Amino acid sequence: MTKPAGILRLIAPPADVNDVHDFVEVELNRHPDLNDMDRMTFTTALIELASNVIQHADTGLGVSCTLTVRVEEDSMTAQLSDSAEDGGIKLVAHGLPEDDLAESGRGIAFIQALVDDLHYTRIGDRNLWIITKKRSPAPPSNVRGL
Amino acid sequence: MKFETLPIGDTIAAIRGVGRLNMVSAAALRETVSEALSTGRTRIVVDLSGIDFVDSSGLGALIGCLKSARQAGGDLRIAQLTAQVTMVLQLSNLDRVLKSYESTEAAYND
Repeated sequence: MTKPAGILRLIAPPADVNDVHDFVEVELNRHPDLNDMDRMTFTTALIELASNVIQHADTGLGVSCTLTVRVEEDSMTAQLSDSAEDGGIKLVAHGLPEDDLAESGRGIAFIQALVDDLHYTRIGDRNLWIITKKRSPAPPSNVRGL
Repeated sequence: MKFETLPIGDTIAAIRGVGRLNMVSAAALRETVSEALSTGRTRIVVDLSGIDFVDSSGLGALIGCLKSARQAGGDLRIAQLTAQVTMVLQLSNLDRVLKSYESTEAAYND
């Protein structure tokens, strides 16, 4: 059965990406049937997204964020709404940096590689980011037919 | 997060932290490596056994520290990667740049 979505509201700073990470862990732990790889890839993508928003969108006044995480039978979805200016993050088809020794520029590429969909839209004075990942099929049950 | 430095011989520093290597803790890693390099320990091993999560900011810090170590005439290696760190390194193709080892000893003996 689908459980209600968890919601986190924060202003960064003083909140930081560890607050987001703690929240995501708690939310995903409510679903013990999630497999480790799905949990790991979704968390990694979502933390990259939150880091990008917190790092690049703050103009000195802090960024107000609302994060919703929903786990359903066949998918996981996170919606991140933030108060930064339009286009705070350039969302284009990113590849990895050409320079192997580049120290930044991998975040969006990570998200695109780890989830099935990354969607951005501007609604009023807020940015809305949505990432969706399909869950891996559950292994066949050994008790079926008993 | 705090990183601890274990001096080995005259030129090696094994550096270890516990937690997440992300945009919050990346600066502490850079600072710890920088301190080790300033004391002449240019062969750096970062023990990642206590790091259960790394993101692109954390990878950026590792790359920055690798470059600093090489500029000082040394090198930086990583050891004891957890599952998520291995996944992120492979995803970024940085497993070709950052040499990883099963143990700290193997890293600095190579």
